[in-house]
Amino acid sequence: MNRPCPQMQDKVADYVLGALDTQQAQALQEHLGGCEACRQYARSLQEQAQSLVALGQRLEADMEARRDRVIEALQDVSPAETDTRRIFPSVGGILRISVAAVLVLGAGVIIGRATAPRPVDVEQLRADLQASIVASLKPAVQETVLAEVDRCLESGLAANEANLRNELAEQLRGDLQLFATQFAAGSDRRMDKRFAEFVQLIEEARLKDRQQVAKALDRIEQNRVLDKTQIRTGLQYVAALTTKATPATQH
Amino acid sequence: MDERSDKELAWASHQGDRTAYAVLVQRHYKPVFLVCLGVLGNVHDAEDVAQEAMIKGFERVCQLRDGSQFGGWIVAIARNLSINLLRKRKTAAKAPVPDRPLEPQRAKSGHEGLQQAVARLPRDLRLPLVMYYFDGQDVKTVAEKLAISTSGVYLRLRTAIKELHEILTAQGDTP
Repeated sequence: MNRPCPQMQDKVADYVLGALDTQQAQALQEHLGGCEACRQYARSLQEQAQSLVALGQRLEADMEARRDRVIEALQDVSPAETDTRRIFPSVGGILRISVAAVLVLGAGVIIGRATAPRPVDVEQLRADLQASIVASLKPAVQETVLAEVDRCLESGLAANEANLRNELAEQLRGDLQLFATQFAAGSDRRMDKRFAEFVQLIEEARLKDRQQVAKALDRIEQNRVLDKTQIRTGLQYVAALTTKATPATQH
Repeated sequence: MDERSDKELAWASHQGDRTAYAVLVQRHYKPVFLVCLGVLGNVHDAEDVAQEAMIKGFERVCQLRDGSQFGGWIVAIARNLSINLLRKRKTAAKAPVPDRPLEPQRAKSGHEGLQQAVARLPRDLRLPLVMYYFDGQDVKTVAEKLAISTSGVYLRLRTAIKELHEILTAQGDTP
């Protein structure tokens, strides 16, 4: 038998399984029409599939006899026996564990007694024990007390939550008013101070202006006096000239 | 024919009613046997393990919470027993044993040769092949029972029939 085309083997197998759609099946059939090796391969796989079905039917034919053998074998067992077997090993296991535990404890007691130290001073032992208990319990007691206090506080807070909220709101409101008042007073003081400084600056400016005006007036006065003197001198000169000229005119 | 449901029969079996359990065996033996055959690849081993599974099912039926699930439950027992048997054999051999015999078997004709060729397939190919051809289950059902996709089943079946053909050709027992 010639080898089928390697690229067609999967398609032939799918064809035998009925896994190809119509178009794929048609394409394969066209190939099979022209390829003897693939056609023989497809025929062989189909016969193999039929043989498998036939083998399954043969196995099916013997199935009844197998079922009968199973049912016959079941006569020797029962669920109850199984339950019993499941329970008793557990009980046995518990008993074994219990006996082992008793033996271990007994051995521990015996060894403990054999190796125990001599009797000690009872008072000393009591004092040591008390100190040990106090030392060991103190942190735990503290922790317990703290936890209890926390719990009480939490419960108290939870119970008075509304009142606390109102009180806090009142307090906040009062604080805000006080702050506003103080802020306003402080603001007024700052404004007065600023105003006083401003007035002082204006006064200083005015004083300086007055001084400058006074200086200017002095200069003007000096200029005026100087001008007056010069005018008087000029007039005297003119008068003198006039006096000299008058007799000549009379002649 | 007993008309009782699997749930009623399982409950009656739990009470020790062998007749009720025999009805369950009648209903569910075939898938149990075929899953054993699919895993083990050998009819005699499959028969032994299927019987063991059925007996265990009777013994442990009290552990089954929902009697209506008896079918899937007993098949799962059979499959686990089959896999355990394979493991025991591998351990006993103290060496990895392939799913298929190393030495080619002597050529046999007819159903015996085909059965032998099926036994030589790898387990993951054999089980879907047995379910599809021997039990007549469709691809979708096989996929659900093996918890794989339908395309996965088709792939396994395609590979299985191709390998089966090669084995049979090598045996000189082409159908």
